[in-house]
Amino acid sequence: MDFSFAAVLGKILGESGYAGLFLNGVDGYKCLAMILISFVLLYLGIVKKFEPLLLVTIAFGMLLANLPFSNMVSNVDNDGLLHWLYTGVSLDIYPPLIFMGVGAMTDFGPLIARPSSLLLGAAAQFGIFTAFLGSLLLFGFPVNVAAAIGIIGGADGPTAIMVTSRLAPEYLSAIAIAAYSYMALIPMIQPPIMKAFTRKEDRKIKMEQLREVSQSEKIIFPIAVATVVILLLPDTAPLIGMLMLGNLFHVCGVTARLDETVQNALMNIVTIFLGLSVGATASADTFLTVQTIEIIAMGLVAFALSTFGGVIFGDIMCWATKGKVNPLIGSAGVSAVPMAARVAQIEGQKENPSNFLLMHAMGPNVAGVIGSAAAAGFFLKLVPMLLGG
Amino acid sequence: MNIGVGEALLISLCGFVTVFLLLLFLIVIIKIISTVVMSVESKGKGAPASAPAAAPAAPAPTKEEEKPSKPWDGKLQLIDVDEETAACIMAIISDETDIPLDELQFRRIQAL
Repeated sequence: MDFSFAAVLGKILGESGYAGLFLNGVDGYKCLAMILISFVLLYLGIVKKFEPLLLVTIAFGMLLANLPFSNMVSNVDNDGLLHWLYTGVSLDIYPPLIFMGVGAMTDFGPLIARPSSLLLGAAAQFGIFTAFLGSLLLFGFPVNVAAAIGIIGGADGPTAIMVTSRLAPEYLSAIAIAAYSYMALIPMIQPPIMKAFTRKEDRKIKMEQLREVSQSEKIIFPIAVATVVILLLPDTAPLIGMLMLGNLFHVCGVTARLDETVQNALMNIVTIFLGLSVGATASADTFLTVQTIEIIAMGLVAFALSTFGGVIFGDIMCWATKGKVNPLIGSAGVSAVPMAARVAQIEGQKENPSNFLLMHAMGPNVAGVIGSAAAAGFFLKLVPMLLGG
Repeated sequence: MNIGVGEALLISLCGFVTVFLLLLFLIVIIKIISTVVMSVESKGKGAPASAPAAAPAAPAPTKEEEKPSKPWDGKLQLIDVDEETAACIMAIISDETDIPLDELQFRRIQAL
């Protein structure tokens, strides 16, 4: 048997990831580009704190998946760890579980106290449908991809991931990264739109204190919403069903242990699996394309138009109630709980330091979660029909 | 699959209207739930069943602190909450809203 140090070293280096990066032609450089992109995302998540829980995990999944020969996604013999974790996305397991956690952490009290907030949540889905239209007509995306891009406008990561994994899985990484990045940028995206489409005197409006909501109302609410919405749009069952189950754990008063688990352990575990899986789908072939840039551009348009829709409807409600509704809370109709509500609070206080809009904005904010799930259900029903499925 | 401008517009409009109608329907459901629950609860407390649904003072507050007409005396009221918990709550609200504590005004903190 021939054995030499140089031969062993040559073999190790020849089969290393470095050889994969630098001696593998264009494919190697594509991987290198993806690794650099993952570093940028890690920087945004860690240093800039852009949705760090998910962005850091997604970025690290992207890094692992693009290190040549790491076999994290698949290898010759069988599929790798990230491939198996991804089954939780492809089988629609993770997004509904995240929704269960969101439900357990959400107080629907402000929405029950002022049900008209639901209209703001509906109006803020405007961006979903206009971005869908734009993706179809301006960029010529197929209807399934256009629907997935439109959902970015709902500012709801799990919903975007679920719709995309069902309708356009090849664009999952681009859409998920766009969705979470823009959610993190809400404090920068929303305020200029809020100021541009509201009057200064309306932004100063102090809203009446919300009535107290009884425990019974809080318990009946998730049961009723799950029943009513799922009966009408059965495709929303995984999202709305889990959202409302999580909320029921939180409010019913007899499942404290489950509530605690869902809010913390389960939510954290699923976040890790979801982030890694989504990041692992970001391969150079699907990510380093013109379509990714188009998706990111349309995602921004979707976000901005959703905010616009909410704010304009806020103006309408302000006018209809003769100044009892501060139109700024309309912007919180995009899901992004609770960041969008916080932005409404901060912008309201800039105009009137004694104004507290946070609780008022939470109504449209949680209504937006239901609204974007409804929009997702609409697309999940319609697109297969259009595609003849 | 190619979709024409007209069809694309129709789909978008249809989707937006569907979301609106669904959430309108939910408003009706919530109103019904609230009316029924408050009616049952007010009956249970001996108040007249026809009391207005959203009136906060309808069930006749039993605790002194629930009387809305009492003018604020400038002091923070703590109801079933110890000072340490109240301090934590105020600090959290200040942190979450990015508003310095000295610019916030707390009138009452009550355990529910």
